[in-house]
Amino acid sequence: MSSTAPLILADGITKRFGANQVLTRVSLDVSERDVVCVVGPSGSGKTTLLRCLALLEEPSEGRVVMQGVPISTPAPNKQVKAAGRAVRSDIGMVFQHFNLWPHMSVLQNLIEAPIRVKKMPRDEAVAIAEALLKKVDLSDKRDAYPARLSGGQQQRVAIARALAMSPKVLLFDEATSALDPELRREVLAVMRQLAREGMTMLVVTHEMGFARHVGTRTVFMDRGEIVEAAPGAAFFDAPQTERAKRFLQQFEDE
Amino acid sequence: MGNKRDLSMFKYQFRWDTVWGSFDFLMGGLQMTLVISAITLVLAMLGGLIIALLDMSRFRVLRWIGISIGEVVRNTPILVQLLWVYYVLPIVFGVRIEALVALIIGLALYQASFISEVYRSGIQSVPKGHREAAQVLGLTPFQSFNRIVLPQAIRMTLPPLASNFVQLIKFSSLGAVISVSEITRRGMELSATNFRPLETFTFIAVVYFFICWPLAMAIRFWERRLQAR
Repeated sequence: MSSTAPLILADGITKRFGANQVLTRVSLDVSERDVVCVVGPSGSGKTTLLRCLALLEEPSEGRVVMQGVPISTPAPNKQVKAAGRAVRSDIGMVFQHFNLWPHMSVLQNLIEAPIRVKKMPRDEAVAIAEALLKKVDLSDKRDAYPARLSGGQQQRVAIARALAMSPKVLLFDEATSALDPELRREVLAVMRQLAREGMTMLVVTHEMGFARHVGTRTVFMDRGEIVEAAPGAAFFDAPQTERAKRFLQQFEDE
Repeated sequence: MGNKRDLSMFKYQFRWDTVWGSFDFLMGGLQMTLVISAITLVLAMLGGLIIALLDMSRFRVLRWIGISIGEVVRNTPILVQLLWVYYVLPIVFGVRIEALVALIIGLALYQASFISEVYRSGIQSVPKGHREAAQVLGLTPFQSFNRIVLPQAIRMTLPPLASNFVQLIKFSSLGAVISVSEITRRGMELSATNFRPLETFTFIAVVYFFICWPLAMAIRFWERRLQAR
């Protein structure tokens, strides 16, 4: 458990669904305060990689390691399972379709996990939730139900819900893809602020502007492999591979 | 218009007083109808849960039992089932079953097979993403089911359960065949003594309608509100 070990590491992950191989020996490390953006055409395996790191999928080969400790392997033994459970709430995730719980108010969505999982006293959980709502500029929606909120507001609540567990790393799975352009901006603004505050983030995205200007590293995936990885804007200014160049061409009009 | 048959209809002398005279007798039957329906609904909800759990069991034998019960019950007529429970069960087990008990058992089993499907679709109506969000936040599978899936599933199953209650009110009239003294049976007994089937059965039909129709409308309104959320 050396201090130089990456916060979270995908170590040679291969993932198959039946005969369909979605990831091929993908390795990716994320260190503290990194904002790693994963880009690539749809179907390239970005989301599956993220879901492996979020422990929603088990890798077919390879492993997920957090601060030097394996937390997910194919057919995990007791020790790995326990390690996975132990770091469960250190890995937060924001979904494309928000996945707020519709039968709970905004506040209830935020305090549910801290109270049930961290056994936090209710008052404390509420105080934290209120501070987070203020941060995402939704204090007035505290008692509203998700269905009453716009998509952008729902996603900001979902980010606040993830933050309520004070995760060490936050995974974003195309967090703005389901939103209209004007709603995207408010969500991206929150993500940018988190990056500024030093949150460790792994962001699967189609927002090239965010990857270029906010990301510390850009990873380009295609057909289940990492084709190219470069720090920050370098990937956009000087892509090395043909595939990456072709991919970036589609965004030139934007 | 105006053939002999129609004229005979106009000449009919209504004798509604024969019905009013036995109003209390019929209302006692209605009370019985509602009590039977309510008890049966509660039993069917429990039975439906058992069948649903059998259906979703990890063990093949249990799954097979659950599915078989559902298929047999759904694909035989309810009246035949009632007759079977009333006449066959006593022969098999050598105990006399009261008609009322037989009716409740038969109806409950029948509704349970449908209610198990209601539960299943209620649980499946909760998007997978809601459970994944719970999982990522660290909730245990039990907490996730209890706090996230169940409250939403129950909300989805309440209107169909209410519809089942309406169905039970109507199906309980089948008790008349095995002499359970609910409102239809009492109507049969009354018309056998007052010789006024038209007034008697019309009145009974109207009573059923004015209980079932408002309930059905309320359920429809309720379902629309749920969908709007």
